[in-house]
This record gives sequence, C-alpha cells and structure tokens, in this order.
Amino acid sequence: MDVEVQIPEGLLNKIVNAGIKMYPKEYGGFLIGFYSEDFKILHITETILPSEYRNSKYSFERSAKGIKGELKRLYSLNPKQYYVGEWHTHPDNSTQFSMTDLNAMIEITEYKTVGISNPTLMILSINKSGLNDFEFYVYNDKKLLRYE
Amino acid sequence: MAINKKEYLQEVLETHKMSHVNSLLDKYRDKRKSIKEALEDYYTDKIYSPLNSGSYAKHTAINTKFDLDVVVPFKKKSFSTLEEMFDDVFDFLNDTYGTEATVRKQKVSIGIIFYKDDDNHEISIDIVPGRELNEDQYNEDNKLNLYVNSKYGLLAEKTHLLTNIKAQIEHIKSKDNERKIIRLLKIWKSSNNEDYKSFLMELITVKAFDKDNISGNLWEMLESTMEYIRDNITKDGFTLSDPGNSGNNVADTLESWQKENLSTKMKNMLDRIEDNSDNLKIYFPVNPDFKEEDNTKSNEGYGVKTGASTFSVPTQNQRFG
Ligand SMILES: [Zn+2]
Repeated sequence: MDVEVQIPEGLLNKIVNAGIKMYPKEYGGFLIGFYSEDFKILHITETILPSEYRNSKYSFERSAKGIKGELKRLYSLNPKQYYVGEWHTHPDNSTQFSMTDLNAMIEITEYKTVGISNPTLMILSINKSGLNDFEFYVYNDKKLLRYE
Repeated sequence: MAINKKEYLQEVLETHKMSHVNSLLDKYRDKRKSIKEALEDYYTDKIYSPLNSGSYAKHTAINTKFDLDVVVPFKKKSFSTLEEMFDDVFDFLNDTYGTEATVRKQKVSIGIIFYKDDDNHEISIDIVPGRELNEDQYNEDNKLNLYVNSKYGLLAEKTHLLTNIKAQIEHIKSKDNERKIIRLLKIWKSSNNEDYKSFLMELITVKAFDKDNISGNLWEMLESTMEYIRDNITKDGFTLSDPGNSGNNVADTLESWQKENLSTKMKNMLDRIEDNSDNLKIYFPVNPDFKEEDNTKSNEGYGVKTGASTFSVPTQNQRFG
C-alpha cells in the first residue's frame, strides 16, 4: 500500500471533543470521506456518531442502526462521500490497535455490504482534557498498516 | 521501451518527498498563531475569532505534512463588498509580512509563503477571508461568503459558502495539482543543474494553471505547463508579477536570451519525451538516495472489491477494544 490520508483540523477537533466527553470510557464513530481519482489519497470529510453504543474504559461497541439513510444522502453529493472507516478513543492508553480492533476491521472488510477493501482505522489516545496522539491505520489483507 | 509517464512521474515525486516533520509542525503552528494574533489586533471587532481549517496528512510511506489554513470570519457590516474585504486583508498581510514572505492572491485565499529559514523549511499558510452570510448569525450558522478571485474566471459562481464542501474540495484539489507540477519542475531544475529561480518556476506554473485551465493526469498537467512556458516566456509583454511587490515583474529577471533558452529547453524536452517516453527519466530522475521499498506493492492505492462500488454500509454491531 502506498496511500495517504488527510483529515481537516476542524474535524479532528470535533472527534477529539466527542471523545473527551466520554472520558474515561472509550468512544468512537464512523469515518466518511472520499478517495482521490487515483485512489491514492483519502480525504476524510465527516464523522457520523453512532445512535446506539456500549462502552467501558477498555471497550467500545457501536451500532450502525439508522445510518443507512445518511450514507445514501452523502453518496448523492458531489463528490460522492462514503463510509471509509472507523475511529475510537483509547483513554489514557497508546494509539496501538488491539487484537479486537484488528478482528473488527477484518469483519467489516469481509462484510457483504462493504464495497471498499481498505478501510481506515483511526485511534486517538486521549486524556481527560485533551488529545495525546492519534494514529491512522489502513487495513490490507488481514493486517493494519500504520501511516507514518 | 515505452514507460507509463503518469506512473513514472508519480514515483519521481514520491522519491523526492521531504523528510522533516515534527519541528516543522511546531513552526507552522507558531507562524499561524502569530498571523491570527496580528489579524485580531488589526481588525478587532470587525471579525470573529479566526479559526484553523487546515488538514493533516499522513502517508503510509512518507512523513506527515500540513496544509494549514486560517479562516477569518468577518462581520456582515465590516465591508460592503467581498472584494473590498479580500483586498483589504491582502494589503494588510502584504504590509505585515511582505518583507519575510511572498504574499499572493489565490483563488479564495491569500497565500503567505515565508522565505526559507536556516533549516531550509519553507512554510506557507493560506488565509481565507469570509464574510458572514446573515448579520450576527455566524456563531449560530457558521455560514460565510467567500470572495472568489475573478482572475480564476473558470468558476461559475462568484461566491461560495464555506459550508459548501465542494468549494473547499475544489480548492484543495487545485492546490494539490499546482504543487505537484511546481515540485516536478524544481526536480528538473536541480537534477539538471539549471539555475532558474525556484520562485520563477512557481510563478510561471501558477500562471499557467490560471490561464490554461490545466487538467488531466500528472503527465498531461506537466506537459501543458511545459507547453505554456515554451509558448509564452519569450512573448513581448509576458509578465510574472511578484505577489509581494506587484510593481516587480519577475519575468524581467531573465535576459531575453535566457528566456529563449528556457523556451528551447521546454521544447526540446517535450520533443524528446514525445520521441521516446523513456527520456522522461533523464529530465525527471527518481531520487537515487531514496531507499528501495517493496516496489511491487508501491503502486497500490485504496481498493474497491471486484464488482462493488465505494458505497458501503458497515456491519450492524461492531466491538473495538
Ligand atoms: Zn482500540
């Protein structure tokens, strides 16, 4: 893989703030964006927060209930925007993905209504008042590759 | 043997990527902070707080880069026209930073490109002035009207709402393309020991993009830009105005024989590449210091499953740890 991801600073702040509100529990959401014409750059444009979720300090389970309509609306825009991956926080922890995270990305990619084969996973290390660090991973062939 | 020109040029850009990052981000942030403070001191109650709207980019093979923009939301009554607003911000930034940076008008923003510092870092920050759409409503609706610089006459609308994602995306794309071509011409310049000023190559590329509606893939854009240089640099009255000092025609820094030379070089390159695409490698070599990675995989972009589209509905319930 030789790819790039771009996230607007404003969206990053929005995600961080949503994560901090749930501190010390994990929290997350869907990443929306589009690929450049040559499929080399992912421009992340938006996040959808889940309407239902369960979370604790070490886990986060989100439901996709009710997002299909929003995904359709986003896909009708110009340029088309679509589901490109997931984000979640690791409160007081590193940005390293867990085995659960990797398995989740495998399941997502293999899921029948998912058309993309390299979804992105964003993990944010946060504390109670701010962001420590964030990392993007791109899923490829049962592995998560880190962006430098 | 013929090569795929577009893919080859992509590789050239990738092997010449800059590799300095963390200290650079701090420098960006410091500069941006000082610009925001200067704007707040000067415009006081004519504006709402300037906000950051740039992006972070992360790449699987190269370092993070930044494209940091500052949006300056003006109050509805601050200026009677968007153009006055745009020009006033340009004048202010030019007066304030003109001695340490190139300040130039762009499509919807004013670019401040600081001269290289001791570490050879070149920091550029775009300032996007916007005026609230509805009086006193900015804090609630975040809607801004942007001025679209009329020399970019190809855009249909004269103004855009900042909330209009398309306008932002067009802005991002057009800048990405210009920058790639500028970098390729700089690679040509340094690899072939040409002594043309980088600044000149930048201005001429920007002008080519303005005048020629340059589009297509990387090779097509480079080709059109080179053709533009070939056909225009020697013309009487061809100007490249210095954005930092509009009275200064940067094209005049070349003697007429140097302009002829540049035009001929472009012509020769275009002809040789036309003869044989392999010649592209002579003019735009890959970086020999670049460490070989898994080259068989390096052309892979993001994938879409066979027979599928990018439209995806993810799993219903998913647990992360
Ligand atoms: Zn996790």
